[in-house]
Amino acid sequence: MPHQLGVTIRAQVEAEQVVPLRDWLAKMAHSGTADSLFAFGRMRGLHFAKLFVLDEVTDFDGRRIPASLVLMTEVDAPLRPHMAELIDVGGPGIDQAFGFCAGYPGAGANRRVRIAWLRRHLVQASAFYVNTVGRGLQQIRQEAHLHDVLEDYLDQGDWAGRAPDDVRRELRAYVAGRADLAWAMRPPAPPSLPFRMREATHKVAVPLALLPLLPALTAILPVWAVLLRIAEQADQPVTQRPTLEHLEEVASYEDFGTQNPYAVAGFLRPGLLRLVTTRTMMFATDYAVRHIYNDDDLAGIKTIHFARWVPLDGWRRMTFATSYDGAVEAYNDDFIDQVWWGLNAAFGSADGYPPTRWLFWGGAKYEQQFKNTLRIHQVPVPVWYSAYPALSADNIEDNARIRAGLRDDMASADAERWLSLL
Amino acid sequence: MRLDLNDIQGLFARGYRAHRYARFTLFTAPAPAAEPATGSALLQWLLPHVTTAAPFAADVAVQVAFTASGLRWLGLPDQVMGGFPAEFIEGMTNTNRSRFLGDVGDSDPRYWAWGGADQPRVDGLLMVYATDSGLLERRQEELRQQLAGIGITETTELPARERGDTEPFGFHDGISQPVIVGLPKAAGTERTVPAGEFVLGYPNARGQLTDRPLLPAADDPMRLLLPDPAGSGAVDFGRNGTYLVFRQLEQDVEGFQRFLDAATERTDGSADPAHRTALAAKMVGRWPSGAPLVKAPAQDNPALRDDNDFAYSGDPLGLACPIGAHIRRANPRDSLPTGSAASLDTSDLHRLLRRGRSYGPDGDGGAATGLYFICLAGNLARQFEFVQHTWLNNATFNGLYHDADPLTGSHLAGGSTFTVPARPVRRRYRGLPQFVRTRGGAYFFLPGISALRYLAQLRKSGRPMQTPA
Repeated sequence: MPHQLGVTIRAQVEAEQVVPLRDWLAKMAHSGTADSLFAFGRMRGLHFAKLFVLDEVTDFDGRRIPASLVLMTEVDAPLRPHMAELIDVGGPGIDQAFGFCAGYPGAGANRRVRIAWLRRHLVQASAFYVNTVGRGLQQIRQEAHLHDVLEDYLDQGDWAGRAPDDVRRELRAYVAGRADLAWAMRPPAPPSLPFRMREATHKVAVPLALLPLLPALTAILPVWAVLLRIAEQADQPVTQRPTLEHLEEVASYEDFGTQNPYAVAGFLRPGLLRLVTTRTMMFATDYAVRHIYNDDDLAGIKTIHFARWVPLDGWRRMTFATSYDGAVEAYNDDFIDQVWWGLNAAFGSADGYPPTRWLFWGGAKYEQQFKNTLRIHQVPVPVWYSAYPALSADNIEDNARIRAGLRDDMASADAERWLSLL
Repeated sequence: MRLDLNDIQGLFARGYRAHRYARFTLFTAPAPAAEPATGSALLQWLLPHVTTAAPFAADVAVQVAFTASGLRWLGLPDQVMGGFPAEFIEGMTNTNRSRFLGDVGDSDPRYWAWGGADQPRVDGLLMVYATDSGLLERRQEELRQQLAGIGITETTELPARERGDTEPFGFHDGISQPVIVGLPKAAGTERTVPAGEFVLGYPNARGQLTDRPLLPAADDPMRLLLPDPAGSGAVDFGRNGTYLVFRQLEQDVEGFQRFLDAATERTDGSADPAHRTALAAKMVGRWPSGAPLVKAPAQDNPALRDDNDFAYSGDPLGLACPIGAHIRRANPRDSLPTGSAASLDTSDLHRLLRRGRSYGPDGDGGAATGLYFICLAGNLARQFEFVQHTWLNNATFNGLYHDADPLTGSHLAGGSTFTVPARPVRRRYRGLPQFVRTRGGAYFFLPGISALRYLAQLRKSGRPMQTPA
């Protein structure tokens, strides 16, 4: 199975095009025509896609940052065919959307020119979280199908008085006997060898490279901590609340099904200290999501399918975007109660974030400040696509366990637990 | 912090169980130009009658609550209104909120009996409880005359059924309630919930003060309001007040019976009453008597009718009480996947103080029956709305696949399956019809007594009127 990529394409929108673009997006979203225009469902290996506008802002030095259009996709590797499909399959939508952007070659231009233009507008994420690395779209869909087949089979039988082992054996025999489900009796293929080698090397190389720096880092750490603590004293509590108009717009694109899109964007607090802190935390986040939180949960949170942290405008701004299960209130509560430290580390240096103490404490623990500031900085996502909108990340994981349980022998108690997945 | 029981309305401390008769009156304020001081007159008359949370022995209790438009009508300035959360300001019938709460299809506010988009605006709610029906009728008549006398003519009366032991589906109800720190019941109770979860101005379950409307002390020259307990120097309009969720939930008792009959009939077509009761109990999580399934897995045990001392850790697969059962999702206790202790803490962040009453004829009267679902919460989004959306209506709650709440959930969007875990194989019931339909609803604020006094004088001195939104 392939590994997954988080593709970000960002292009500047001319000032006079911002309103027409926003109107076009909103109209398309509310009339439900995005699917036919972008044909995301026909792009191979595409899990999720979102399209949103970042408004024009002015940074702390008074510099204007023009509005931009952002396309994010989560897709199975490799990148090249995906970039081609954006034009070859989603061309009608992409041409219209990026037609609002400065310099887009336009629908009439050669496909290679347009693909190259999109490639030039790729933005690198500083960290990309995948719920379960290597679980491709085909696997998710196949295992959901297997789940449905087994559920139907169970519905038809009379199982009273049978032992769990016995039932499992029958299910195995049933699946083994169906040619269309032959794949289910084998484990899913791992990601490509080059990818695994790259990740394994990174996993070892980063600590090894840091080892010689340890004495220096140990010396710097207390200085950094004190400087940061001093800087934190000046951070103000969040007293602002999101406006009703903003809430209304954001909410109009939420809660249509099991999953939701999420995107926030904001400035880093000014100064080198905050920049260094954020870059360090992003470096750590990248390492953590690649090597620690790469299988089923993000520091205990199991509702996130994909997440990414993308620095913008020369690290003056950051955007954080996810596709997650449930509603924003539950999502925020999970953050506050389970990964407050991680949120604080990643966003403590963001302007408008509730004040942190020693970076990891405070911050997200101020429930209402935290919820308000996230809502204030939330960006409406008018176009959002999910390849499996009814499946929670839990469902997907359970389906993988159902498949895994078909292969090997298991104890009776395990068989009972396995059957409870159905 | 001690609870200021004399300043909190009584519904916070008690459900008036001994006051078996209740009537709820919704009213619409007259056009402001008609009589600026109407609201003030109403509150002046009401104030001596409003029952507080202090020890209480009277035969009649009265409570009063207002929607956002009602508070504006009474003259609460915009900057104070801005201190209320969006849920309250926007109201229950906001389109996005309707979708969020599952008020779609038949439950769409377009079809509501009251509170819907094309109906009279709901500005206030008067709740009268009495120990006997004659007393209730007399007090209600007095109320009617008072309302008419001061020019409030647009009203809807919602009469509750005499409080009995069972709700219309036939189950003993209202057993599990949070035990609140500072109330007498908390003494000797192991698991309590901080008062700030249910009344504003006190620390909540996260040890913080929930946002509430504050105003400069100078705007309260008569010093009617209490100071902000956070010590900001402002005065606190929200203190000792709370939010009251009111929803009229019509229960399709016949449909429920039909479903149970069809789902449990024997292969020869004959009825199987024991199986029928058992399936209904699986859907609820308790037997009709109230006995919890985790303690009485095989059959009803009326001795456990009020038992609330149980956990799900002994039943992780839901073999006794299904994962999707109503009570296991309305309050999952220790059964969330984060593990027992963390799960209990999480559950405490989403508790509701339920004060509902049933309505409609008891038995086969033909008329509609249901529940006036009423609950108090200090944070609408984190408590009521979260429970409704993330636990009850969520088809993938706690690892489920297509299962919204079998009893109260919205069965439209892929949530119409009910899975009953069993050995060796679960039984699933598919295509559940909708048994509960929303017929009306609104978010109210139940102010503290000080805040009511403050409201009573806002328009008294001929201050300029605002037009209710």
